[in-house]
Amino acid sequence: MALTISDDVIWQETADGVSLYHTETGAFSTLNETGSKIWMMVEQTGEREPIALSMSRAYARGNEAVSRRIVTEVNQFIGAMVENGMLLEEA
Amino acid sequence: MTRAVVLGGGLAGVLAAVALTRHADEVVVVESDHYPAGPRPRRGLPQSHHNHVLMTGGIRALDALLPGVVDDLLAAGAHRRNLPGDCLIFSGEGWFHRVRTEADLIACGRPLLDEVVRRHAAIEVVQGVAAVGLTGDTRKVTGVRLGTVTDGWKHIAAPGRAGGIAEIRTTTGAPLGDLPEIARSEVIGADLVVDATGRRSAAPTWLAALGVPAIGEITVPSGVAYATRLYEGSGEIPAVLVHPKYTPARGGTLFPIEGNRWIVTMTGDPPLDEAGFLAYARALRDPVIADLIEKAKPAGPIRPCRDTANRRRHFEDAELPEGFLAVGDSVVTVNPVYSHGMSVAAMTALRIAEEGPSQRAVAEVADRSWRMAVAEPRKGGDAKVGRAVLSSAGLAAEVFHGQALIPAVRDHQAVFRAMVDDLVEPLTAEQAISQFAWAR
Repeated sequence: MALTISDDVIWQETADGVSLYHTETGAFSTLNETGSKIWMMVEQTGEREPIALSMSRAYARGNEAVSRRIVTEVNQFIGAMVENGMLLEEA
Repeated sequence: MTRAVVLGGGLAGVLAAVALTRHADEVVVVESDHYPAGPRPRRGLPQSHHNHVLMTGGIRALDALLPGVVDDLLAAGAHRRNLPGDCLIFSGEGWFHRVRTEADLIACGRPLLDEVVRRHAAIEVVQGVAAVGLTGDTRKVTGVRLGTVTDGWKHIAAPGRAGGIAEIRTTTGAPLGDLPEIARSEVIGADLVVDATGRRSAAPTWLAALGVPAIGEITVPSGVAYATRLYEGSGEIPAVLVHPKYTPARGGTLFPIEGNRWIVTMTGDPPLDEAGFLAYARALRDPVIADLIEKAKPAGPIRPCRDTANRRRHFEDAELPEGFLAVGDSVVTVNPVYSHGMSVAAMTALRIAEEGPSQRAVAEVADRSWRMAVAEPRKGGDAKVGRAVLSSAGLAAEVFHGQALIPAVRDHQAVFRAMVDDLVEPLTAEQAISQFAWAR
């Protein structure tokens, strides 16, 4: 699943995290540290599964249950960003 | 179309006539008043004593209709100011920085504008003759019934009748053709009658007399009154605007106009006596206007204006007969907060020139101004962005392009920067004033 940042989004990494502004909807948000990491990975890799895997490796420390939860939460986050138009996803 | 008759020789009427010269073989303007010999207020236009400015949308339309007219206006002493680049503005959010946008205004006395426009328009105007009704039926307006203003409305019965003959002039000195005969008859036949008789237009009554159903009308009180006074003052000064923040909506403006004068307007519930007017100016959110006029010599009396209700007549939704069009304040009258009346008249005329007469087009042009005039103050929104407007050219353009009736812009980067960046320190009154070469 290829992920791209919508052309309608203006964003910037700040000291507080990544700030996003959707020019069509007017939605503005600043992501927390984890969200900002995911956002930067989307920008760099553009693939959902490698991002979830990478986050899981970084934070699960080999715990299978934690790993599954991280994958689920990363997918939920990306799904929400796709839903609100910040990210575009193509099969 | 062979003949168009425009009722009303004010700005909207003259500009509509200019536009119609592209669509009619003959255009006649009938004006009940007499034009003054020079750029002076006239009896039939009481609002000519008050402040009038042209906004960018109107400036562009006027120059497109009558190329060179804006240059002539400026040469005659009118002042052009960028919004907010050449204006000292204290808005509800604070003082504006001098950022430049594409929004301009031209400030001058209304009589000067009318005279310069008439000179360029070269339209024949029959003066001292008023319309008293329409001829035709529900399907077609065929002409105008005329009268003169002597002892009330009197029809012209015959040439030579004492006090009853129209004085006829042309704005150009061109031959009058058959105009004298037209004006001496009781009826002018017309393929198109344009009502530009202003806010006191009787057109709905005239149409009703032909059997046309009532025209829908909405009135929205503005809740403010005005008082205007001229002062002697240098043109080397920005336009100064002190807006209200909360109700009561007390504000004030000062615009430099021709003849080294300032036209100063107090809005809200201003008193009309000398001391009260000055005290009112001093009690505004900032006394900058009071400081200026206190040292200036008045150049006329304090004049009130209480007729500030917003009114819209929906001619475009009515089953109008063919051969009738209403323009200007006859259609939409808005309170002078945004100074849109003249600009809307010019933009309407340009639309008529380009597309031909259309009541729907008239309504479309006036709609933006109407909506701004009757809109409730916006609540909510991002307060940080609201304050960033004061110093961001991109955000200021969004605000002032709307007010100047030019295409809206949305500078997304500017909005984003306003949300992300630290706010620029707000200007103090002294800092705001010191942006201009003028000390308090």
